[in-house]
Amino acid sequence: MSNLSTIKEKYPPGDFAIWIIIYVELITFGLFFIGYAISRRENIEMFNSSQLMLNQTSGFINTFILISSSYFVAKAIYYIRTMKQNNIKESNTKASKWLVFAIVCGIAFLLIKISEFYHIFSMGITLSTNKFFMFYLLLTLFHFMHVFLGTIILFNIRQRTKIAGYTPDDYLGFESGASYWHMVDLLWIVLFPLVYIIR
Amino acid sequence: MINIKRTLEYIWIVLIILTIFAYLLGYLKLISTSLVGILLLTTLIKGALVSDYFMGLKDVSGKYRFIPIIWLSVIIILVGIAYYMPIPMTQ
Repeated sequence: MSNLSTIKEKYPPGDFAIWIIIYVELITFGLFFIGYAISRRENIEMFNSSQLMLNQTSGFINTFILISSSYFVAKAIYYIRTMKQNNIKESNTKASKWLVFAIVCGIAFLLIKISEFYHIFSMGITLSTNKFFMFYLLLTLFHFMHVFLGTIILFNIRQRTKIAGYTPDDYLGFESGASYWHMVDLLWIVLFPLVYIIR
Repeated sequence: MINIKRTLEYIWIVLIILTIFAYLLGYLKLISTSLVGILLLTTLIKGALVSDYFMGLKDVSGKYRFIPIIWLSVIIILVGIAYYMPIPMTQ
């Protein structure tokens, strides 16, 4: 999006290729979510008792972290979109500051998730333990990889903001990375209540 | 411009409040059959807010704005059906 006018943009922010990836990811995770919900019907007691072994608090903290990181990225993109030719350096610096917060959140999410996986695996739980843990591990490990990739993308965007690399005419890459990061957040927003809360 | 910054802050606060609501339902073991419907509805609202305001799709016309919201609605409805539909008795 080139400006913040009220006129609707024809295409979503960022490179269109990233949106193809986002749509494919949404469909893939969506099938997993539906598969989880249907499988749960076959053995509700087993799903409920297995779910009790998860740490809801770490799930909540991770949701808080991802939502906040998404907010920080939205703030960063705000400064890039409102940038003018005479304040390129200042806008990049402000965006860079907000990206640091988002990257720290991404790393915090990964560390909490690693400790959660360590706890789960140290109990001898694997993909073949039962259907609940099969879905839990597949969904969260798959999502973990997306957060990992997203954090690397944000880091690279931040490196470019440090040299004032984005201009009012060239910030498509920034928007693409931001859109990917928001998708990661959107997926976790569904995953958290589905796997950690609903019983 | 200031309004857009404020809006992002308000959206973040709403998302956090809805997340705390979901967490408390689970943590205090308050989750019940009827509250699952409300939880799914709050999930739909959270997803729509992220899509519209953080992704910035509210400023995009037509189908591109609604694809993520339609995806989310379909997922929430199907999860709701799977949760609420009676399970057939087997011998």
